[in-house]
Amino acid sequence: MATVTPDLQRGAGGEGSNVLRLGKPFRYTVLILVGAFFIIPIVASARFSFLGNNNSFTFSAYTQLFGTPQFWSTLWLSVKVGVGTVALTLALLIPTVIFVHVRLPRLRRLFESVSLLPLVIPSVVVTLGVITSFRNLPNIIYGTPVILALEYVVLALPYSYRTFDSAVQSIDLKTLVDAGQSLGAGWIKLLRFAILPNLRSGLLGASILTFAFCLGEFAVASLLSFTTFPVFLVQVGRLEASQAVALSLIALIFTWIPLALVMIVFSQRRGGRRGTGIESAIESAVAD
Amino acid sequence: MAVTDELRSGSDSVSGGGGDAPADAGRRRRSWRKGRWHTSIGALPFLVYVALFLLVPAISVVATAFKNGNGQFTMANFDEAVHGVYLQSFIASIKLSFASALIAAVVGVLAALAVSATDNRIVRALVTAGSGVFANTGGVPLAFSFIATVGNFGVVTKLLSSAGFDLYAHGFSLYSVLGLTIVYQYFLIPLMILIMIPPIQALRKEWIDASASLGASRFQFWRWVGIPLLTPPMLAAFIVLFTDAFAAYATAEALTSGTIPLVPIQLGSLISGNVLAGQTNLGDALGAGMIVVVLVAALLYAYVQRKASKWLR
Repeated sequence: MATVTPDLQRGAGGEGSNVLRLGKPFRYTVLILVGAFFIIPIVASARFSFLGNNNSFTFSAYTQLFGTPQFWSTLWLSVKVGVGTVALTLALLIPTVIFVHVRLPRLRRLFESVSLLPLVIPSVVVTLGVITSFRNLPNIIYGTPVILALEYVVLALPYSYRTFDSAVQSIDLKTLVDAGQSLGAGWIKLLRFAILPNLRSGLLGASILTFAFCLGEFAVASLLSFTTFPVFLVQVGRLEASQAVALSLIALIFTWIPLALVMIVFSQRRGGRRGTGIESAIESAVAD
Repeated sequence: MAVTDELRSGSDSVSGGGGDAPADAGRRRRSWRKGRWHTSIGALPFLVYVALFLLVPAISVVATAFKNGNGQFTMANFDEAVHGVYLQSFIASIKLSFASALIAAVVGVLAALAVSATDNRIVRALVTAGSGVFANTGGVPLAFSFIATVGNFGVVTKLLSSAGFDLYAHGFSLYSVLGLTIVYQYFLIPLMILIMIPPIQALRKEWIDASASLGASRFQFWRWVGIPLLTPPMLAAFIVLFTDAFAAYATAEALTSGTIPLVPIQLGSLISGNVLAGQTNLGDALGAGMIVVVLVAALLYAYVQRKASKWLR
């Protein structure tokens, strides 16, 4: 099976069937091994979180967690920061990306590279910089989670910008704008009735990626001493391992579901070639 | 993309011209000037925002690294950052990132090849979507799910020991550099798969057919066509993985509670206030050092990328 002759392969000829000349055993061995590496920790976490004394089955890790007020308060804080970050991100991205596409198509790549800048500066370093440079700002900004939202907008840009940008790229923006303007619509009307409705999935994708980033971000929040959900998770982990594992499982599943939705929606829309978020961010970085 | 954009805007200005030439040129110049003015306004908020919340902090770290506690110029911070424990932590960080990236690059390429060669659409969609999800997974929950798996009391650790093999008696520890290397694979391998699928799919079928009709064996195809074509994108991807691993903080902190001296961890503990007297701006020097490492990686990336983009368009 592994050594099909080249002629036979060409005979089979289907799209992508075996153009890379890799045998089935190779493919399945690799995919099964790698798959196992990704699935085992999840299964093990689930098992671990239901493990009581003497190997009994128990929900106690979960019930104790849900009974902890801090669980709800930190989750609420993370959700608030996430919603604020998403709102700010959209307020910043919608005008910028549309403007770049309409007026500055030549600079599209440049703006994209600006959005990838946060990948070059580690978030620990950004945090230190925030402390040294914003220490003297009014307390309402620096001393509250507002600063988290402000920074998360930038740190999530590599995911959000690309997603929204490729969504705008996929519609015929110029025609929409020309048609709208020739009918006498101003920019507000254009956005409200012509452009944004066509960008719904792009807006949703950028929002979900940004929100997922905010729910999982640990470095900045912990170093600026805000007890967000991931920071609480680490605190729990130092005391009660099974609760922390249960909490991690919840956190993972709740970030995976929306992320998977984004991936699936976007890969279908673009015929599976182009993805979204990090995927196309990387793709574009590689294509440059 | 950029090329088509330019072509499009070029053709626009051509088709826009129709009346008598001088008047048209004048109109175009005026609208161009007006457009330029609008330009700076429209793009400004975004650029200002990024400058304020990313560049200002980054630059202030670098600038502070050259100052002592009284604001005078000094090289003492850097002097300390490249000696003793801090030098060790740079070495440890670079070693860890290099090893993690190398393993992930090899495994990721094999997986990307396997996926690209599969004609099963469901497997493909599953791996692509899964990679997109797992590549974003890093962080705290990841650390705990590995603790549940191969930690001291992990499920797999127990299974193995009941089968007569004690992981921890054989020198393995999850809470070590080796453990971190394994945990990092969880987000590095998917990243590698995501990066490598496009260049692998860009290996043109004609090239494969051509080599086959010229009588190339499978080995010859990979030796003379496949590997030379995939090497530049692999190198570029390796650099991305290295950078990702080098900057990772959450996973290492959650897993080892800061006991392993890595640069981000050291920097984190300096930020959290574990500062000895006379080390006021040492953290900034470490931060500047991290930026230097990442910048060197980014320059290498740009160089490799230029080579890579020659063939794979």
